[in-house]
Amino acid sequence: LSSLVPPATLLDRRLLIVTGKGGVGKSTVSAALALLAARAGKRVLVCEVNAQERVAPLLGAPPAGARQREALPGLFTVNVTPHEAMREYGLMVLKFRTIYEAVFENRLVRYFLRVIPSLAELVMLGKVLHEVRAEERGRPRWDLVVLDAPATGHAVQLLRVPSALVDTVPGGPLRHDAEWMQALLVDPERTALVTVTLPEEMPVNEAIELDAQVRSVLGIARGGLFVNAMPEARFDAAEAARLAALSDAPPPLGPAARAAHLQAIRAQHAARYLARARAALDVPTTVIPLLPAATWGLDAIEAVARVVASGPVPEAP
Amino acid sequence: VTGVRDALATRRIAVCVGPGGVGKTTVTAALGLARALEGARVLVCTIDPARRLANALGLQALGNVESRVPDHKFAEAGLRPKGALFAMMLDVKRTWDDLVTRHAPDPARRERILKNRLYQQMSSALAGSQEYMAMEKLYELATDRDYDVIVLDTPPTAHALDFLEAPDRILDFLGNETARALLAPAVGAGKLGLRLAQLGGGYIAKTLARFTGQEVLADLGDFLQGFQGMYDGFKERAAEVHALFSRPEVGFVLVTSATPVAIDETLAFHERLHAESMPVAALVANRVTPDLWPAAAPLPGEAELAAALAAEIPGPDGGLAARLARTLAEHQTLAASDRQALDRLFAALDAPRAVIPRLESDVHDLAGLARLGERL
Repeated sequence: LSSLVPPATLLDRRLLIVTGKGGVGKSTVSAALALLAARAGKRVLVCEVNAQERVAPLLGAPPAGARQREALPGLFTVNVTPHEAMREYGLMVLKFRTIYEAVFENRLVRYFLRVIPSLAELVMLGKVLHEVRAEERGRPRWDLVVLDAPATGHAVQLLRVPSALVDTVPGGPLRHDAEWMQALLVDPERTALVTVTLPEEMPVNEAIELDAQVRSVLGIARGGLFVNAMPEARFDAAEAARLAALSDAPPPLGPAARAAHLQAIRAQHAARYLARARAALDVPTTVIPLLPAATWGLDAIEAVARVVASGPVPEAP
Repeated sequence: VTGVRDALATRRIAVCVGPGGVGKTTVTAALGLARALEGARVLVCTIDPARRLANALGLQALGNVESRVPDHKFAEAGLRPKGALFAMMLDVKRTWDDLVTRHAPDPARRERILKNRLYQQMSSALAGSQEYMAMEKLYELATDRDYDVIVLDTPPTAHALDFLEAPDRILDFLGNETARALLAPAVGAGKLGLRLAQLGGGYIAKTLARFTGQEVLADLGDFLQGFQGMYDGFKERAAEVHALFSRPEVGFVLVTSATPVAIDETLAFHERLHAESMPVAALVANRVTPDLWPAAAPLPGEAELAAALAAEIPGPDGGLAARLARTLAEHQTLAASDRQALDRLFAALDAPRAVIPRLESDVHDLAGLARLGERL
């Protein structure tokens, strides 16, 4: 169903969907991809979906809320909420503000909109995809839209809405919108999905499950795997063994050896999970090193962007 | 610091809530396993969309029915449970179908609802549906089965909040009289399109149909019509389910990591539970960086470590002392920031708690879960 997007052209897509398990750094990767694109002179919009906003603060800017806001030159962010998306969608369908207000101020109508399955997801996704298609003065409004999607299961639910509606709604504006949205999502020229994970057991399991669903259910082109917070292989096997034996020594050596031992175990586990994720997904893989704790905000995003810019790395022999 | 298991010892139902990515599912499984090892008949239930618990329990797949963790899995892990451990994964659609089947007055009505296109989508797509069904299933398990202990996993915080609101939201949907009145007569006559135009709210209905398409409204009308007479049963049931969460046999366990974002979300959730009179029974701070260096003493530099190393391992150290110094410094920076974050949490939330060091909590087999359980 899905085809592979060559890594070099990842930023040439019109829409990048970033997802993965909760807490793996989706917003960090979204922000870094957007920063790179903006630095390359593109006009970029990062969309979060009804979320506690993370991207703008990571870029050192205030949260945008429901209105697009320029966080850095050429880089805009927005938090798409059901309420605002519904309003915009309603105005588009009904054309006149007065009609919208007359109809939508009616409590009963609000009830219908709220309870019709997936309508909130549809209008939020519709808002994002609309931005991808929108043109201003004969050219696309955005060169790139980055969708910082919800965590795995909810992202699949969100991205499945158009095809579910195409399957179940026989006609009308809902179906019409679902059709063009689905066409955009599965167009490998315009859209790619990237999976973010940590080199840990559960996030990698989830990344593998997500990838299977992307292929079998969503049919969205897979743009790559980002493995975040990869600890460096700082101690070789012989050193690690020696340090483990010194862990109970008195300070200063004992605590230092113990810290090193913990670091070595983490790095060793991480290498195993990285290999597992790579083998299962078999897409271009970008490995983002674990940054020192002091690196935060825009500095961290800059550091991640530098890694992403250097491109996916082949597996070590 | 321990006490999580003590705090839960008198509770039959433990509900684990917290932000994503903190190891909530693992903690859930570890709590359940610990009780099973002590002799209880335990069920661990997850409603997370990604099927992670199966992996943690070494089961290939979990379904809507409880399956027992086999003896050989325990034997392989060197464990001898005095009780039994069961696990399951909530199937939202199946639970809805069961609920409809239970409340439908006759088979024809049941079929009418189960075949409704909107219903088929709704059970998986209506916001709050999953959470509502999790509570429903928990209630069923708590009342119809003979488990001594049930440990429930929940989706990440954003949805865990929905968890408490879900029944009201769904009931508002099922029981909206005005909506039914608007659509029901037309559906009864089988001529929705015609009726919509004739209704008192004809203008609104027409505009709405333009918005959604008429078929969607017809499906909705048919669905609401099918539900007529069943609503009271649903409402009663939902009230019982809600009341379950306020019973003393239920305890909420807040699971968090020490990242500032996770702490913020955990505090928000605590406030919310408190407002609902559903107090937190215990708190698990997971994946915390342990403090390895004696308080107040300055961290050792490369030279100091090189000297200490030379006493243990003669010969050139290949830059090992420098790497050790850097590793310890990085580690302690993380430990300090974790401690600061947890101090903020503990100051705001006084509950029995456990602090689980990183790595020790990164487990995915029964033996690891058992070790984690001992620390809770």
